[in-house]
Amino acid sequence: MEWLTERIGAEGVRGLGQFVGINLAFVVVLMIVAYTVLAERRVLALIQGRLGPNRVGYGGILQPFADLLKFIFKEEITPDKATKFVYFLAPIIAITAALMPIIVYPFGPTINLPFVGQVSLVIARFDIALLYVLGITSVGVYGIALAGWASNSKYSLMGGLRASAQMISYELSLGLSLVGVVLMSGTLDLYAIVEQQGGWYGMRWNIIRPDGLPQLLGFIVYLISAIAETNRVPFDLPEAETELVAGFHTEYSALKFALFFMAEYVNMFTVSMLATTLFLGGWQGPFVEQVPLLGIFYFLGKVIFFLFLYIWLRGTLPRFRFDQLMNFGWKFLLPVALLNVILTATMMFFMLRD
Amino acid sequence: MPWTILFFIIFGGMAVGCALSMVAQRNPLYSAVSLIGVFVALACLYLTLAAPFIAAVQIIVYAGAIMVLVVFVIMLLNAEEEARRPYRLKFLIPVAVGLATVLIAEAAFMLTVGGAARPDPVPPKVAEVGLTASVGTGLFTEYLLPFEVTSVLILMALVGAITLARRTQVIGVAEEDLAVAGGAAPSLEAASSGDRIITPGDTEATGQAMAREQIARGEAAAPARHGEEEKEGE
Repeated sequence: MEWLTERIGAEGVRGLGQFVGINLAFVVVLMIVAYTVLAERRVLALIQGRLGPNRVGYGGILQPFADLLKFIFKEEITPDKATKFVYFLAPIIAITAALMPIIVYPFGPTINLPFVGQVSLVIARFDIALLYVLGITSVGVYGIALAGWASNSKYSLMGGLRASAQMISYELSLGLSLVGVVLMSGTLDLYAIVEQQGGWYGMRWNIIRPDGLPQLLGFIVYLISAIAETNRVPFDLPEAETELVAGFHTEYSALKFALFFMAEYVNMFTVSMLATTLFLGGWQGPFVEQVPLLGIFYFLGKVIFFLFLYIWLRGTLPRFRFDQLMNFGWKFLLPVALLNVILTATMMFFMLRD
Repeated sequence: MPWTILFFIIFGGMAVGCALSMVAQRNPLYSAVSLIGVFVALACLYLTLAAPFIAAVQIIVYAGAIMVLVVFVIMLLNAEEEARRPYRLKFLIPVAVGLATVLIAEAAFMLTVGGAARPDPVPPKVAEVGLTASVGTGLFTEYLLPFEVTSVLILMALVGAITLARRTQVIGVAEEDLAVAGGAAPSLEAASSGDRIITPGDTEATGQAMAREQIARGEAAAPARHGEEEKEGE
């Protein structure tokens, strides 16, 4: 370690660490995503009284790799009258925007690694982490909208239009539902927000934290808008298969389709991580102070709970109608999110005054 | 320091290139995508200037909200490629070239000749200027009045937009139709004969609002039938 610091300086070591961390995080997240797809198929099958894919490997454990191989070897088809450049650009935007936010989430406390020393388990820690996440998420809509437009197909266009309208609408309540947490924490740094939720044996999570307002309302609004942001059931109108064939990715095949597919699941994963970090205490939990490595398991456990919730909802709920979706977003979720902001601010005002 | 310069060259070049492409493209959607590129490049430049908050706001507001609406409208209207037309105001071309020359000469003068007299650009308290806390404190203490005035301005724009949209959709249609000589305009006929007129962009709510408007304006046959229909429909 000292040898490396002498050669390239402290800044260089930090940069190198972040570079390695980012690549490692991408690999880990993509593996988790692959197994989320498998879990989704198995759990859905369980809910529907089927078996699901269980042939490749023990209990279907190698199914994601079989799927990947299939995606790679399928023929790439580009529609004749597609706008070529944008048609290629769209899946790239989608997957880039999905992967970029994962670097800011703290997935464990500061631990003592052999040879390296004290390491905080977060890849990049900076002042505006939450805004960064929101900004990148809001750019992600271009992937879907442009895919729908460039395919030159009416189903794709309808899907793209629906997706952009839906994502703009629900982004507002999503952003507002987080304001309560930001007001209570007084920072946008995700690592600091998680650290503040320690105490009570690591159970002083923002969702039940008594200084200010417990963010239960904000949590519910966030959960619903996050499902809508990721275009999952019951908000999967952009790809409603009974109406639009497959929505915005109707004309995409092989790896380009796989990129959209991966982007959707990575988005699921990131919004689950954000919910965990902001509302459920991130890596905080009982005995984390004694055994810091437990933090990673708490974090992953909470995230997996959310992923399971997504799959569960998909097996349970029917799809919204589009006007219901818009009415619900603008006339119910947005006012509730505003109410949460006002209530939290009022509580904070009185508490800070005393 | 060399890293900063490298990033400046990359993102500055990206901003200029995207801006040129935005002006030069004939397909409106390509122009919009280029403009998004400009905004992203500008945000990266803000980051190198140690103003992360401004960078994030740039992405969220411009790239994430305004341009999404622009792209949405372009997709919705299915805007075609613009046909190349002969320039109408030809004298503007030499004027533009002349002004550009003056601008570039001015910049070159400032950078070379005026360099000696130029004070060193020492940014005060670099670590604090662009951070969220300092921006927030500034906005809500020192610059509270301009901030509030700006919000009132935006509110006015909002109210204005809603007023304009409402007038064209509901009242405007009815007024135009009533102004037609002979009274019975086609759309009103259709409405009173029970068919619902559906135009692009209409939702069920606007249709019902239109029906109510017609009832309020005293359509003779409409009220009872519409009332019943709405009940049945529910």
